[in-house]
Amino acid sequence: MASYTLSHQAYLKIIFHAAKHPHKPVNGVLLGKQTATSVLVTDAVPLLHLWTNLSPMMEIGLDLARTHADALGLQVVGYYQATERLDDRALAPVGEKVASKIKENFNDAFALVVDGEKMGTEEPALIPYIANGTSWHPHNSAFAGDSPFTLENQKSPSRAMALIRERGLHRQFGDFDDHLEDVTVDWLNNAGCTDKGAKKT
Amino acid sequence: MAATALEKLATWRVRGTRASEQVVEQGIIVLEQGALKRMGDDAWAFLEQLALASLDIGRLDIADDCLEQLTEEFPGSPRVECLKGIRLEADDKPGEALNFYEAALREDDTNIALWKRQIAVLRGQGPQTIPRAVEELTRYLDTFYADVEAWIELADIYSELNLYALSLQALAHVLLLASQNPFYVLRFAETAYTAGDIPLALKTFLRVIDMDESGPSEGNATKRAWWGVKLTSSRLLSSSNASSDSQTLAPSAEHLKLLDELATERLAGSYSTTSADRQARGRDVVLAWLIGRKR
Repeated sequence: MASYTLSHQAYLKIIFHAAKHPHKPVNGVLLGKQTATSVLVTDAVPLLHLWTNLSPMMEIGLDLARTHADALGLQVVGYYQATERLDDRALAPVGEKVASKIKENFNDAFALVVDGEKMGTEEPALIPYIANGTSWHPHNSAFAGDSPFTLENQKSPSRAMALIRERGLHRQFGDFDDHLEDVTVDWLNNAGCTDKGAKKT
Repeated sequence: MAATALEKLATWRVRGTRASEQVVEQGIIVLEQGALKRMGDDAWAFLEQLALASLDIGRLDIADDCLEQLTEEFPGSPRVECLKGIRLEADDKPGEALNFYEAALREDDTNIALWKRQIAVLRGQGPQTIPRAVEELTRYLDTFYADVEAWIELADIYSELNLYALSLQALAHVLLLASQNPFYVLRFAETAYTAGDIPLALKTFLRVIDMDESGPSEGNATKRAWWGVKLTSSRLLSSSNASSDSQTLAPSAEHLKLLDELATERLAGSYSTTSADRQARGRDVVLAWLIGRKR
C-alpha cells in the first residue's frame, strides 16, 4: 500500500473549510505529487458548501482544480469532505463517485473524511479512505504509530484550532461556491489563510 | 455600538441568515450595553434569535437565559415550546427531543414548527430514521402543500440518498408554488443535470438567465447558470446521445454552438479585472478551461 504525507497547509485548509460551515457538508480536492517514497499532499482546494449532492459545479470545480494543478506541476491526488453530523464518518456516495473519478487519473488516489468529534482536540481529525476495487473503506490506524498516513507537521491539529479560535482565520477562507458569487475570492490558493508562524516539529 | 449590532441582528432575522457565531457576538454586545430595554417588542424576536444562535454554537448558558425570559413573558406559547424542544436537541438527546415533540404534537397538532423539528431530528439521526423522516414529511406536505421550504427539504433528502428523479419531482412542486425565485429554478437545473437529463438542465439554466432583470450586474443565480449553460452545451455538442427522461429536445448543433460561444464569452468577461484592488482570481485557469472545452 502506498504511504501518504499530509502537509501542514493542506491540513489547515481542510479544517478551516469545515469550521467555516459547521452546519453544512463541505468538500474539496487534494493536490500533490508522487515522490519516490510516498504521496505528498501539498495543498487542498475547497469546492462546495452549497448543494453538495449536486454535480454540475462540482464537475467544473474539479476540472478547474485539475487545470490549476497542471500549471503547478501537481496532480489531483484525493478528495476530502466534512459533514454536519459529528457521528457521521462515512464517505458519502458523492464522495465515492468523485474519489473514483480522481482515481482514474491517479492510481493511489484516496479520500479524507473529517472526524467532527476530534476536531477540537490535538489528534488529527481525519479518517482516510482507500479504494478496494470500486468500493471505499476507512483505514483504521491513520496518523498514528507506523500508519501509512502521516502528518508533515505533528502540530497541525492544535495549530488549526488556535488559528480558528484566536484569529478566526477560517472566516476568510473561500471555496468555489464563494468564488462563483464573487470572482475575487481566491479559492484556488486561499493565500490569506496560510500559517506563516508554523514551525515543523 | 449597540445600534449597529441591532441593525445587523435585524437584517439577519429578516433574511433568516444562520450566522450563529456572529449573532452571538453581536447579541452579547447588545446585552452588555443594556440595549434590551430600549428594543420594545423587538426584544422578544431578538431573544429568540439569540437563543437559537447560542444553541447552534454550544453556548447553552446564554440560550437558557433567553429561554427563561421568553417563557416568563409568553407562557404556553407554541414558539417558545419549539425552542424548548430545540434546547433538548442541543443536549444531544434526540430520543428525548422526539418524545417531547410527539407529546407536544398530541396536545396541539396545529403547531407546525414542532412537526418540522420532529422531521428534522429524524433526518439528523441518519440512515436508520431517514425513511421515517421522509414518511412524516410526505404526510406533512399532504396537509400543507404550499410549504415551499418543506418541498425543498424533501428534494434535499432525496438528493442526499441519490434519488435524483424523486428530488426533481419535489422541486417541480416548488416551481409551481414559487416560479419567480431564480434560485429554485437554478436548483432544479442542477438537479436535472445530476439526474442525467442534460437537455432539461440546459433549458432550465437558460430559464434562470432569462429571469434575471437586474440589468448589467448579474444576480448570483445567473452567474452559476452561465457556468451551467457552458457545461451542458459543450457536453451536448461532444456526445451524440442526448437522452432525456423528461423528453426534452436538445437544441440543434448550430444553436448549441452559439450557446457555447455565448456562455464562453460571458464567463471570460466576468473575469476581466475592473480595478487594481478587486482582482479576479484564477483567471488563467478559467480561460484555459474555457478554451479547452471549445468544440
